[in-house]
Amino acid sequence: MLLLAAMVGCVQVEDRAVTLSNERNSIERTYELTKYLDHQLKEIKDTYLLYLGPPFSDPDFSPPRPNISSLAVPSAATRVDLWRGLENGARLAQNQRAYSVLLCAVRELARSTLCPYLQSSLLHFCSGLSGLLGSISGLMNALGVATDGHAPLTTPALSPRPALNDFTRKVEGFWVLRELQSWLWRSAKDFTRLKKRLRTFHNGAGHKPV
Amino acid sequence: MDYSCVFPQQLDKNNSRNTSDAVKMALSISTLSLLILLPHALTSTSHLAVISPQDPALPIGSSLTVLCAVSAELGLAASSLYWTLNGRRLARSTYTVLSPTELSVTLHRLNGSQQQSGDNLVCHSDNGDVLAGSCIYVGMPPEKPDNLSCWSRNTKDLSCRWSPGGQGETYISTKYILKYKLRWYGKEKECQDYNVGQPYTCYIPRDLAIFTPYEIWVEASNQLGSATSDVIILDILDVVTTDPPPDVHVTRLGELDDQLSVRWASPPALKDFLFQAKYQIRYRLEDSAEWKVVDDVGNQTSCRLAGLKPGTVYFVQVRCNPVGIYGSKKTGIWSDWSHPTAASTPNSKRLQTGSCDPKSEEHNSTLRQELKQFFGWVRKHTYGCTNVSIKLYDQWRVWLQKAHKTRNLVLQSGKS
Repeated sequence: MLLLAAMVGCVQVEDRAVTLSNERNSIERTYELTKYLDHQLKEIKDTYLLYLGPPFSDPDFSPPRPNISSLAVPSAATRVDLWRGLENGARLAQNQRAYSVLLCAVRELARSTLCPYLQSSLLHFCSGLSGLLGSISGLMNALGVATDGHAPLTTPALSPRPALNDFTRKVEGFWVLRELQSWLWRSAKDFTRLKKRLRTFHNGAGHKPV
Repeated sequence: MDYSCVFPQQLDKNNSRNTSDAVKMALSISTLSLLILLPHALTSTSHLAVISPQDPALPIGSSLTVLCAVSAELGLAASSLYWTLNGRRLARSTYTVLSPTELSVTLHRLNGSQQQSGDNLVCHSDNGDVLAGSCIYVGMPPEKPDNLSCWSRNTKDLSCRWSPGGQGETYISTKYILKYKLRWYGKEKECQDYNVGQPYTCYIPRDLAIFTPYEIWVEASNQLGSATSDVIILDILDVVTTDPPPDVHVTRLGELDDQLSVRWASPPALKDFLFQAKYQIRYRLEDSAEWKVVDDVGNQTSCRLAGLKPGTVYFVQVRCNPVGIYGSKKTGIWSDWSHPTAASTPNSKRLQTGSCDPKSEEHNSTLRQELKQFFGWVRKHTYGCTNVSIKLYDQWRVWLQKAHKTRNLVLQSGKS
């Protein structure tokens, strides 16, 4: 009887192990995608800053951050203890919200770029970002977390986009790429943490993760 | 292409509870945030200062006066502000203080813009903070585009190319639109696919009529003016080119050591059209950069190259011109050359090493004697070499000849 129970227990654990293993694979792939996009962004950012011209291309330049809807991302920067304590679902949700906003912002950036080569690089990057968003949504589904779905792209805007002057638009573009860079750095750490937490959960069911 | 974006709004009520929790968390994170990834970023109100004019466009050599009006709340004196243009500080002698909150700068004899996105003219507070900026576009109106030429691939599409005219540099973003219309029917159309591979090109993929001429021209425009090229008139059938001939094979002609036979197929895309193809062949030695062209190939799909060097590798290419397509009187446009195909002429008989030559026989017998003696010694004085004999040596020679033959066969089959 005990043996039977143990066997059933074994099978259940195995099923769970397979599911968790799939999720860990997905997280690993999402992590790799994040690193790849981070690498791509470095090149695009350098070219884009040259396109904007000095002082944007100067190393220490930092204009004031515009307070506009296309930069209404949750801040990548956060207190260490809060970041560590983030529950898996909330962690993924923050990533999803950030990239939804940033994807839109980069598309707008691409549209208003005069240089055709840069425009196609940015659009290519957008498809990568779109893939990342898809991966995150997929992970959220697998872990049973409620997702935003495609709501951010279909609900109407709060107000029509204000007409910006070209300089302000440059500052906005500068900050979009900067936020994107921060988030890609942060996401790499987020996915590493997620992988660790899933492994801990698997090794000792009910064990409080560190 | 419309990329108008919409931004996250209040989510629908199914998710509202999760949303409000998440929003609360996001708010608490942002209010308690200690930046671990970024240096401290100053969040600004939308108007620290206002610059005018915004985004002006001017011809090269113009002068411009720009005003920076700083917000009174900041408590900054106009005399403490300074200007930079493309990151370089402008001399105070060019500034004028108009009021306690207004500072202007005058720029003379402006050069063409440093980047197409516009020169960056920025108004700074005394500690270097950016208060406001304006993009200045200094350039020239476009010159008349010229050298407009077009060609069609297999009568299906039309590609056009032009030059920008003059120096080709306007310093500001200049848009080129290729327009076309059927000569005797008024409706004007615009080409959509620009810079496919190269700048100043456009591609029209479909819906082109034949047997009726088109009028084609290019319109250039930027913020300072516009210009139109001359109109060219052409019939699609007069500017047809095609794909390079496929299945190019180069083979030896038996033992002839100074000739090669070249065979190819006519381009399949034009097989349904009435036309007489013209072909051209070119060939060169493997290690030479000089091509020899055979021009009088006519419309056959084979040719014999003569007067070649024996025992040499040649590279051969073929191209096609669809002449007289659908009765067009004009010469068409040559296709690209086919991929190079390699082949070698046979070695001249005199140079072939054979065992029938009496001189080499003599040499051989001395060699064989010596080898026999050597192998005998090896068998006596070494372990494990008991099979070494003159028989093994003969087997090796046969193997060597076979290996040479296979190598030649590979070259002959004309692998490119």
